[in-house]
Amino acid sequence: MKKLYAVVAILVLAAMLIPACTPTAPDCTLPEVFCVGMVTDVGKIDDKSFNQSAWEGLQAAREAGVADWVQYIETTDAKDYDKNIQTFADAGYDVIVTVGFALGEATYAAAAAYPEIYFIGIDQFQEWPYDDDPSNDLANFTSLNFPEDQAGFLVGALAAMMSDTGTIGAVCGTDAVPPVWRFGEGYRAGATYINPDINVLVVYHSDVGFDKTFTDPEWGAATAGSMIDQGADVIFGAGGKTGNGAVIEAAARGVYAIGVDTDQYYTLPEAASMMLSSAMKLITPGVAELISLARDAQNGGAAFPAGNYNGQAGYAPYHDLEDMVPQDVKDRMEEINAMLLSGELQTGVPPVKP
Amino acid sequence: MDWKRFLFILLVIAVLFGAVVLVGMVKQEPIIIIASMLATTITVATPLTLGALSGLFCERSGVVNIGIEGMMLTAAFFGWLAAIYMSSIFGFPALPSLLVGVFFAIVSGGLMALLHAALSVTFKVDQIIGGTVINILAIGITGFLNRQLFFESGSVFGGTVPHGPGTLPNILIPVGQGVKAICGWFGPSESCLTFANSMDKIFSQGPITYAAILLVILSHFVLFKTTWGLRTRSVGEHPRAADTVGINVAKMRYANVILGGMLAGLGGAYFTLESVPSFEPLMTNGRGFIALAAMIFGNWTPFGAWAASLVFGAAQAMQINMQVFRDVIPPQWAFLQVSYVVGLAPYILTMLILTGIIGKTIPPAADGVPYEK
Amino acid sequence: MRQLAGKIGEGLKNSLPSAVNSLLVPLLAVLTAVVLGGIVIALAGGNPFLAYVGLFQGAFGNARAISETAIWATPYIFAGLAVALAFKGGLFNIGAEGQLAFGAVVSALIGYALPGWLGFDLPAIIHIPFAILCGGLTGALWAAIPGFLKAYTGGHEVINTIMMNYIALNLTSFLLNGPMKDPNPNNVIARTPVIAESARLAPLFEGYRIHWGFLLALLVAFLVWVLLWKTTLGFEIRTVGANPDAARYAGINVKRTIVLTMALSGLLAGMAGTIEVTALNHRHELGFSIGYGFDAIAIALLGKTHPLGVVIAAILFGAMRNGATRMQFLTQIPVDVISVIQALILLFVAADAIIRYIYRIRAASERVVLTRGWGG
Repeated sequence: MKKLYAVVAILVLAAMLIPACTPTAPDCTLPEVFCVGMVTDVGKIDDKSFNQSAWEGLQAAREAGVADWVQYIETTDAKDYDKNIQTFADAGYDVIVTVGFALGEATYAAAAAYPEIYFIGIDQFQEWPYDDDPSNDLANFTSLNFPEDQAGFLVGALAAMMSDTGTIGAVCGTDAVPPVWRFGEGYRAGATYINPDINVLVVYHSDVGFDKTFTDPEWGAATAGSMIDQGADVIFGAGGKTGNGAVIEAAARGVYAIGVDTDQYYTLPEAASMMLSSAMKLITPGVAELISLARDAQNGGAAFPAGNYNGQAGYAPYHDLEDMVPQDVKDRMEEINAMLLSGELQTGVPPVKP
Repeated sequence: MDWKRFLFILLVIAVLFGAVVLVGMVKQEPIIIIASMLATTITVATPLTLGALSGLFCERSGVVNIGIEGMMLTAAFFGWLAAIYMSSIFGFPALPSLLVGVFFAIVSGGLMALLHAALSVTFKVDQIIGGTVINILAIGITGFLNRQLFFESGSVFGGTVPHGPGTLPNILIPVGQGVKAICGWFGPSESCLTFANSMDKIFSQGPITYAAILLVILSHFVLFKTTWGLRTRSVGEHPRAADTVGINVAKMRYANVILGGMLAGLGGAYFTLESVPSFEPLMTNGRGFIALAAMIFGNWTPFGAWAASLVFGAAQAMQINMQVFRDVIPPQWAFLQVSYVVGLAPYILTMLILTGIIGKTIPPAADGVPYEK
Repeated sequence: MRQLAGKIGEGLKNSLPSAVNSLLVPLLAVLTAVVLGGIVIALAGGNPFLAYVGLFQGAFGNARAISETAIWATPYIFAGLAVALAFKGGLFNIGAEGQLAFGAVVSALIGYALPGWLGFDLPAIIHIPFAILCGGLTGALWAAIPGFLKAYTGGHEVINTIMMNYIALNLTSFLLNGPMKDPNPNNVIARTPVIAESARLAPLFEGYRIHWGFLLALLVAFLVWVLLWKTTLGFEIRTVGANPDAARYAGINVKRTIVLTMALSGLLAGMAGTIEVTALNHRHELGFSIGYGFDAIAIALLGKTHPLGVVIAAILFGAMRNGATRMQFLTQIPVDVISVIQALILLFVAADAIIRYIYRIRAASERVVLTRGWGG
């Protein structure tokens, strides 16, 4: 037994001697050091969804040399939003990114209190789509928003054109999160636009808590399986890992799969062979771009784009299925995309679930 | 056998299915709806069944196990981790990697159970608290390791989750073929072929799903037809009497709790190795607790636990399908597609069952009581 | 190593006054868990010293940090007391989470809708207590149901409170997405409108967020102590908890006591939710279940189900949760490590035999029975 204790003692000592591997932060209060901080909503940084995409935007900014230091704080309870934003502000950060609508009020208040810090809110609709009055904008606060309904509309139209059975499905996270709802309803609208008689099955995972609705791939797979059993031959998965479960199940069962957020041909290799396209909402480049704009503004360049900033949304390339998609479908998709961008065609999906 | 309970369970499943068929008939053939729901029900019930069997062995030997959730979560993580290591670091092909993953899932479930057994048998800790320790520990360990191994560029896998070996392939039992052959004799009719295709949907399931069903039968046999089962039940009912006839109470309890943990481990493997090829923090989503409820629902019997798991599975299948048919749902039934409402059914049913209105649930007499010599 | 540990145990035991001696095991449990947690951090490539320095700075480093720790501790005190009180009565309330959520929903409703229903503004002196009371009573009602089922049908409270948690989750989702959703057209998420000014619990000091709820929590802890040890009801609760058969022979109405114990426990859990709404968030938002229910169990056990112990344990857990932000900020060590440490604390407190073995402390003479098997 004594030997055991000796071993444990050595282990403890050895463990304590390991030097800190984490790089130490530079002094962000110095004017020449450009620091970017990010506060998550009540979710994890590795959620493979909004938070992680945003964080990758910060990392991209650092790799591009725009930011000298990036850092995140994970919020564990709604009451900590203010505290976590303030932690960055006190440490002299130059840009603070906050993720999710729930942080909107706290971010707006902080932006008013710290006019020298730039704030980037994701999905916070500072004015869009209701408030057209630019006098309410803060010069140092912008909200990065995405027309998810248009992306959903595009892949919905694609799904309708590619379906042989006349039945298509969508497996989504909770409809209480507006971007998810807009993806799902945009999909429905797009499919119906192509074929008014099409059978669109849209299921939301609203029966569990917010912490689970995006992280339940098993439910996503079971739901997609149920839809395929009922004849669906295209499945759109929109909702973090829950949607990924649906996409993987669709590909495994040999029906077309459509991903979400990024071009999931790259992020879900298991499903790549059947990945028709993805409804894209490019958070990462959007965040990186806004950080770079903030740095320019700080250096006396062009003014920071206060108010609302529309991020890029659209549909991903067909990749492996390039040859399976007929030319007339490709042409039609481009035509619809152009009409949506010009405003000639409206999705008819309200921004918020009525 | 408790026929009243089984009839009740059958009735509940029939009502759940019937409601969907009634709503969906306008849009879809009933046979396809039923086949699709059955397939979903069986799939979804798999982790619940295994979890319930896990609880069953523990409790039949007199140890309450509310740590099923934690054991499944731990197994889901370590099974997946082992499979990823095998395929991406050691370069094994998919199937062997997955089988190694299943093995490690079972082992890690067993190890968590060993901790539970040590706490409740050796240290005589309150068993419900012991289970709570398992649950909290599992959340902490899996969340922490998942982050350390797979997130950020400094982590073992360099910040990206490596391409895993996928999932265990489905196995098709050719019932549909047989039906098609029979159809042939009578001249192939449309409805007969539809029926055959529906059979293929129901009888195409993953290996863990089949294993769960076989384990139900096996558990029944072990518990009620073997000496081991007799001893297990006797230490759960009358540990003192068992002790006096020379049965080692502590040893039996250790063995059964570990066996239970291994069953929960297989249930955990279902999440990451059969259902989807990825791990998520908290991905068991409380199914361990539902499994516990299923075990009580089924009155501490393997077949009862399975039937109860199927009820929970059917409730989920209904939830999915009610939303699928939401545009043809009659307005007066529209509340059914509000998933919060349908989602309540299994929980309320469990509470009703516990009140004893359909026959008393009888736990093993010494369940939860540490044995002092 | 163990000799050293044994010496530590001996030394502490001899030097501390006897009142503190009963806290020796929890103290050593925390210490051991912190050391093990440090090893976990080190093995994961972090610097445990830096991490713990960050944790301490974040929790107690300055006035604001202390204020934030108190904010975190407040709901923990209420929820920990809820679980502890139930333990005293021989019941395991694993459903504090659901009672808390429902308490929060109802106090938010009273907070934002009551002035509208009445047609005039209420003075704060009435509105605040009323909102807190309603939230607490909702929690009490929510917990009384499993209590009733336990007393009159024998359905075990552990399973029933878990089921009630899920029902609460589904119902609050429904309410916050539907009837109680903030109707402001700019709102897109599931949350209630902001409560009226008159229903808000004020901060204690200008510029800090620490609020009257913290003092209320301390007061309630004292009241729970009075209830348990200075009143007949408290005596009945403890007797039923210690030995229901004896209680029955002594003429105590066991069934009524069980229902009352659960209701009181739910009252405390409901207040945990209601304080969060009235003092901090000023609305209820459908968030993530962050596990107050499980933490409360750990706190109740760590505090040895004594109100004073619960307060100390709650402050410790609050400090860990609050300090975790700064720890992550400084070292990038994921906050999950806090869950590992808390689980270890719970493990060592629950299995005090392990601690007693390591530090060579004799077993306590009395053995506290907390819960019983399903049969009840």
